[in-house]
Formats: sequence, structure tokens, C-alpha cells
Amino acid sequence: MSVTMGAVRRAGRLAPLMRRGAASLGGPTGIAGAVIVAVVIILAVFAPLVSPYNPVTISLDHQLTAPDATSWFGTDQSGRDVLSRVIWGARPSLEVGIMAVLIGLVGGVGLGLAAGFYSGGWFEQVIMRCVESIAAIPLLIWAIAVVGILGVEPMHVGPFVFSNQTKVMGLLGLLYIPGLARITYVAALAESRSDYVSARRLQGVAEWRIMLGDVLANCLSPVIVQATLLVAIGIIIEAAISFVGLGVQPPQPSWGTMLADSRNYLFSGEWWLSLFPGLAISITVIGFNLLGDGLRDVLDPRRNTANFTA
Amino acid sequence: MLGLVLRRVVFSLGALLFVSFVLFVLTAAIPVSPARAVLGFQATETQVHQFDHEHGLDRPLVVQYGAWLGPVLHGELGKSLVTDLNMNQEIARTLPITLELVCLAFAFAVGISILLGTVSALYEGRLIDHAARMLAVLGVSVPGFWLALLLILLFAVDLPWFPPGGIAPISGGIAEHVRSLVLPVFCLAVFYVAILSRMTRSSLVEVLSQDYIRTARATGLRRPLVLRYALKNALVPVVTVAAMSFGYMFGWALIIETVFNIGGMSGALLDAINQRDYALVRAVVLVFTMIFLAANLLADILNAWLDPRLGKAPR
Repeated sequence: MSVTMGAVRRAGRLAPLMRRGAASLGGPTGIAGAVIVAVVIILAVFAPLVSPYNPVTISLDHQLTAPDATSWFGTDQSGRDVLSRVIWGARPSLEVGIMAVLIGLVGGVGLGLAAGFYSGGWFEQVIMRCVESIAAIPLLIWAIAVVGILGVEPMHVGPFVFSNQTKVMGLLGLLYIPGLARITYVAALAESRSDYVSARRLQGVAEWRIMLGDVLANCLSPVIVQATLLVAIGIIIEAAISFVGLGVQPPQPSWGTMLADSRNYLFSGEWWLSLFPGLAISITVIGFNLLGDGLRDVLDPRRNTANFTA
Repeated sequence: MLGLVLRRVVFSLGALLFVSFVLFVLTAAIPVSPARAVLGFQATETQVHQFDHEHGLDRPLVVQYGAWLGPVLHGELGKSLVTDLNMNQEIARTLPITLELVCLAFAFAVGISILLGTVSALYEGRLIDHAARMLAVLGVSVPGFWLALLLILLFAVDLPWFPPGGIAPISGGIAEHVRSLVLPVFCLAVFYVAILSRMTRSSLVEVLSQDYIRTARATGLRRPLVLRYALKNALVPVVTVAAMSFGYMFGWALIIETVFNIGGMSGALLDAINQRDYALVRAVVLVFTMIFLAANLLADILNAWLDPRLGKAPR
């Protein structure tokens, strides 16, 4: 009896917490997005435990078998399990999508914040003109061309070795900087003229502490929303670059290369090769988009521009 | 207004110059000398040096950039060192194919999204609005090249309605030509239909709630006429984004062309990358960047023209 009472009481305390959590994600669509994203991340992190087979083990007795009870998503031209490859393929997609945004955030928020906070001088002008010039670069074409020029082989710079995936990641991050810098700049410009900043100045707080301690926190809402949506775009771009053979290199499984391979089997009826990797991309991207939309409804309701990069 | 246009034009040219320099440095500072691509890996150091000297590749970067930029300003992209092809001809051969694909997809996207956005704004909160919103989320999330694979499976392999790839030349009949364009145009447009219809919807919903629209309705103005006035104002932000998306579409056209085996600019770029023909990579990317910048410039100018408040305040 007391156990159930305790459970009820705990549930009673839990309910408002859950409601608040749901509200902070912007209603049912935001929650759906968060759940999808969480599931994909968990699958990627625990891929070795979750995937039924080794994603790179070749099994020549089981080439191109249709989905059945032993391999739910069928097998590919080398007899590798498609389900296992789809699960492992989440790793490069999420790594590129998330890391690129982190790189863009560090660069973009830093530049935008500094330019917005120290506005009205040459410093602001120089930074924002540079940012605008980088924004004049069409993202996808440059990503393809630059990776093509550098080559898909691992690159050695001093003691460091950069895999092709790292190159794609860094490049996308670099190209994200202008957009994130502009959003932060607009917010920081408005914030730096508000009363609380003057008040902090009168208190004798150092400029850089006002900038990093107060202004930054108040600029983050639109940035967080945009960052979430950029992860979605990044995952599609990573898949596209891998699709043309310039991203993740075989035999490492990735959704883009799996789709590229599936092109050879369009006419012979092996539909599962093209269906499942694309479904994985779409579901993941839907997750990030719904999460971003939900967060926008909560954090940044006035802004209504759609996810628009690339 | 004129001042703003001039400022944007000057900025665009400056950005083009800057970006072209970055592009040049990237394509010149490659790990493998073009000499290796042409002469093969058995070539001796002396042969490589001689090749570099003959083609001026041993000069300082800035000098090389100047030597490249001069003719480019006159519209001469030069000759490829690898294939010996005239790159102007290469671009002239492939650009129209890509251009047709992008223009058709653009027109389709703009037309459909205005229609879709208007309908869902007029029926705000109803079933049709929710359906359109769901479609929009799908449209920005489903990668066009995967959609292309699925549509090829369904409508080219299972049901032989459309050819699975390639563009039938116009000389072979206009009907065949159009039929071969349907799938690629659709796959390229879907993402932008989603973006633009969502923008049209939210913008129109906002305009329709304004006082002047209510006044217009109250005076007994007929509904289609009210809608026409409302749309005129609601489409201002949509036009800007549409102009920008024209530039972005060329990037995705590369991927769509690859799926459908269309011999446009994507073929030129990917072949050039495979053959380590960096001069051609440089030329193709330059052309794309120019189109992209022009689209952005157009977006800025259209924005200032349609929304005069922006032209007056210095940015």
C-alpha cells in the first residue's frame, strides 16, 4: 500500500516536471523531434551492442538477400547486413552534423558577439564584411570542390592526420560561421544597447565580463534554434557529399555511400538497398527539424524564417 | 535606392574578387602538382620542373593569380592542362543543361509554393493547413537524391512512365524532352516548395490579420480582390528568399544530375575532380559562385525595391 502511495506521490511530483519539459520543447511536435533525436543518438552510441551483425563483415553466401527474419533490412552486394550498416551509418552522419555546428558556433558566435558588442568601429566593419564575403560562397559546391581538390585520402599536417570525414566536418563548420555570426551579431547589437548593460558598466564590471557573462546568455535563443536546424542540413549535406563519393570512404558504413552503391541495383529489384539508408536519413533529419521548430516556438517566437542554408 | 544598389553591386564584385582569390589559392596549393596528373607518376623531377616552368606554375602565387584573372575578366577561362579542352566550350556545353533544369525547378517551386501557402493561410488551422505543414516538414527533411532513387524505382522501373535517367534532346521531340525532365525537376524543387510555401503561409497569415485588410473587408470589397492586395504585401519576403534559393539550387542540381546521369555541370565538375583537372574545377566553381552572387544581389535589390524602408536606412 505504502509503495503505491509513494509511487503516486512521486508521479504527482513528476507530472508538472514533465509538463514543463514538454512546454520547453514547444508542444507535441517538439517532443516527437526530441524523442527521434534521442533514439538516433542512442543507436549511434551503442551501435556495437545494438547492431545484430558486424557492419563490414563480408559474407559471400548471403549476397543481396531480401529482408527476412535473419536480416530485417536484407543484405547488400557483399552479403553485409543492411540493418547493421544503417545503425553504424548514424555515426558519421551525427558526427559531421553535430561537430560542424559546434565549429560554426565557436567561430560564428565569437565573431558575431564581438562585432555586435563592440559595434560602431572598424572592428565591427572588418568582421562583418569578412563574414559577408564568406557568405558569398555557395556551400555545397565549394564543399564538393574543396574535398575534391584536397583528395579523399587522409591528410597529414605536421603530427596530425585528418581523415576525409574530419575535412568535411571542418569545412562545413567553416561555412556555417557567417550565418551563425550574423544571427548572433543582430542579437548582440540590440542587447549591448539595453539598460542592464549600462547598469553593469556603472557597477564597474569589466567589458569582457559583461559581454561573456550577460550579453552572450541573452543572445543564445535564436542561435540555439538555428544550430538545431543546421544539424539537420549538415546531415543531408554529409550524405550528399558521400553520395558523390567524396565523403566517408568505404568500407566504413555511411548512409550516403550506401545510397550511392544502391544505384547499381535499381533495375535488378533490390529495393531494400535504396529504401532503408534514405529512410534513416529522412527520419533523423525530421527529428532535428521538429526539435528546431519546437525550440523556436518557445525560445524565439517572433522569428519565422525557415531552415534555409544550402 | 540607387545608392543601396550601387553599394550592393560594389560589395558583390569585391566579394567575387575575394572568393576567386581564395578559390585560386586552394586550387593552386594542391598536394599533387598538375604535372603529375598530366605526365604520370613515372615522370622525373626534371620533367615536372620543366612542365611547371612551361606553364608558369613555378611563379609566385600572386603573379599566377594575376595571369589567370586578366583573361577571366575578359570572359576567357583558358585551356585545361589535362584534357587540352577549351574550358569556355566545356562550360558552354554543360551550363545550358543545368540552367534548364534549375530554371524549370525554380518556376515549379515558386508556382506551387505560392498556391500551397495561400491555400493553407486561407484555411489556417484546418485539416488542409495541417496537411500542408506536414508536407513542408517532409519536404525539408527528405533528401532530394533519395527521393529521386525512390521515384526512379517506382515510376521508371516498376511503371515505365518516365525514363530512368538522362535528358532526351529537344531534337528528338518536345514530348520526350519534357518527360525526361519531370522527375529531376520535381526532386530538385521539393525542398524549395517546402521552404517557400511555409514562408508564404506565415507571411500571408500575418498580413491577413492587419487592420487595413479588415477595413477592406468591412467596406465590402470582394474576397478575391482582398486576397490580391494581401498577397502583394505578403510576397515581399518570399520574393527575396526565392531569389536566393535560385542560387542555392545549383548546388543541389549537381547531386540530382548525378542520380539521373544528366551530363550537365555536375559531370564536368566531378570528372574534373577525378582527373585532377584543377583548372576546370576552378572554372566551374567560379561560374557557380558568380551565379550565386548574382542571385543574392538580385535578392537584395528586389528586397529594397519592394520594401522601400530598407533602402533608406543605412545597414
